[in-house]
Amino acid sequence: MENTVVKIDSLVKRYGDLIALDHFSLEIKEGEIFGLLGPNGSGKTTTINCLLSLLAFDKGDIKIFGKEMTPTSYDIKKDIGVIMQNVAVFDELTVYENIDYFCGLYITDKAERKKCVDEAVRFVGLEDFLKFRPKKLSGGLLRRLNIACGIAHKPKLIILDEPTVAVDPQSRNKILEGIQELNARGATVIYTSHYMEEVEKICTRIAIMDKGKKIAEGTKDQLKRMIKNTETITVEVLGLTDEVISQIAGLPHIYDHSYDGSLLTVFCSGGKHNLIRVMEVLQKNDLSFGRVYTELPTLNDVFLEITGKALRDKED
Amino acid sequence: MFLHHLKYDILSMLRTKALVIWLIIFPIVLGIFFKVAFGSVYEKEVKFDAVPAAVVEEEKDPYFAAAAKALSEGDDPFMELTYTDEKEALSLLKNGKVKGIIYAGGELRLSVAGSGSGETMLKVFADSYNAQRKVIVDTAENDPARLPKVIEALSQEISPATKVSVTDGNTDLYNQYFFNLLAMVALYGSLLGINITLYNQADLSPLSARKSCSPAHRFTGLLATLVSCILMETVCMTISVTFLHFVLDVDLGKHMGLVYLTSILGGILGVAIGFFIGACNSFSFNTKVGISMVFSMLACFLSGLMIGNIKPFIQQHCPIVNDINPAALISDSIYCLNICSDYRRFTIKIVTMAAMTAVLMILGLICTRRKKYASL
Repeated sequence: MENTVVKIDSLVKRYGDLIALDHFSLEIKEGEIFGLLGPNGSGKTTTINCLLSLLAFDKGDIKIFGKEMTPTSYDIKKDIGVIMQNVAVFDELTVYENIDYFCGLYITDKAERKKCVDEAVRFVGLEDFLKFRPKKLSGGLLRRLNIACGIAHKPKLIILDEPTVAVDPQSRNKILEGIQELNARGATVIYTSHYMEEVEKICTRIAIMDKGKKIAEGTKDQLKRMIKNTETITVEVLGLTDEVISQIAGLPHIYDHSYDGSLLTVFCSGGKHNLIRVMEVLQKNDLSFGRVYTELPTLNDVFLEITGKALRDKED
Repeated sequence: MFLHHLKYDILSMLRTKALVIWLIIFPIVLGIFFKVAFGSVYEKEVKFDAVPAAVVEEEKDPYFAAAAKALSEGDDPFMELTYTDEKEALSLLKNGKVKGIIYAGGELRLSVAGSGSGETMLKVFADSYNAQRKVIVDTAENDPARLPKVIEALSQEISPATKVSVTDGNTDLYNQYFFNLLAMVALYGSLLGINITLYNQADLSPLSARKSCSPAHRFTGLLATLVSCILMETVCMTISVTFLHFVLDVDLGKHMGLVYLTSILGGILGVAIGFFIGACNSFSFNTKVGISMVFSMLACFLSGLMIGNIKPFIQQHCPIVNDINPAALISDSIYCLNICSDYRRFTIKIVTMAAMTAVLMILGLICTRRKKYASL
């Protein structure tokens, strides 16, 4: 993980008065699965489009593989695979023809191309659908075709812009596993999503975006360490008195709590055995309880604490 | 790389149902409809007797006299004219002895009592004469030697029942509808032309955005789509001409090779129009298709696809429209091949079409030269 594959320096992109990217900088190393996480409209896709030289930007500098990226940087483009947010395939061509077409834009040798296409078909598991037209495919299969078209030429850098939108959980897992496999084969991956669970699951490093700005960057553990919360304890319990609640609130490492009449939520910052101490208080007061569970902080907690709001998909 | 693009562009277009319907099936169906609708009318018309009409000369008009003579003489005259005064003419009209009264002297006026085919034919004569009177007068003043030929041409143009030996084609009135049908197919080529930008302009579709991310040179892709559109349109035009001529037995004249070439050039003009419509604005793809369809139908309407007499009317009141209307240019070119013994008028139309095609293609290329977009 030494070489820098992508370097974005102080990128500014305006749409009229709206600042879509506000001095956004990023550095992605070889072999990473880099996650760009942010709510809808935070600037993820704009970043990708600027990166691919599709969008003109107002200020900043973009380098890929150490070279400046321009619309005519064909030597750079041949090593990039792109999986767009919207499925980008010919509706009139079959699955095989679509993959062959896009692979052919990168690989001119027919024999080599055939090998790559066959491999891509196997990789996404579309062997049984080769003669299907995209309209006949389910949402999940269509997304897999979209991915196959982007990776058939074996790119060194793969950019996936929200590839799992509107995909069923089974297909989503298959896609995520595929991305990890591509990374294991040596590809550097940029993955944008507003699904924090996905980013948390596959990304080695993450940048959180909001309103065109990078608000945090690091590994998931580093990001989680940036916030106060280390553990959230939830207990189903009825008839909790103010006195008991104040006993719990007075326990060490507990910095916040809430109780809605049946569910007690306790927020902890550091410390060990927080759950045991909460249980002891309940036991001492002879209170019976139902489900008990603890949660480690999520990226949503990170986002919440930094911006004061939840990631939008969580809100929805 | 060019062939790779070409192969899949053609495959994609061939499998696009909307294109096949509008460019192949619809013209065939419309052609059959025209044949059924006009076939019986034409059969009746060729058996028509000369249309009786009274002529009231308000002023002496040698040009009208020459044209009237040409149309009322011969083995198969178009009109049977009775020169008389207005009172007698009205009496003849009232008694049904004539179908109409032609008031000669300058611009022709026509008075008819009914709305039958005879009256319609007199109206066609009056409209055509008025539309071409300036040409006749100019020729008489500047090149009197050519006057008989011009009057002959007028005779051929307005007489659906007369086949004059000086032409090597036919002058059937209803053939105009088939010529305009071919013009319509050609202009529907614009639906293909829009694909050039759809497939190659990153801000129009995710597909073209993906293509723009590849190392394939943008111009190669653009050129391949352009060529595939032209090939596809060529096939469609060939099918249409072949179907009309060989299946529906529509007489497109003796210069079939030139009719094919003219139709194909018209199709390429249609593609160029679509390319320009696709490239010159930032509307959505569907809006561009809508613009293209409206333009094609409007051009065909003005050329006489729906109302046969509209072209002479436009020629009389705003001739520039006929000179630049692509549908009129295409149908006129084929018409010229049928009735003109010299190719001057045909050549002018063809050169105009070629020039328009070149200009629209260049403008389209200029509009699509941008490689980065302000928004996607």
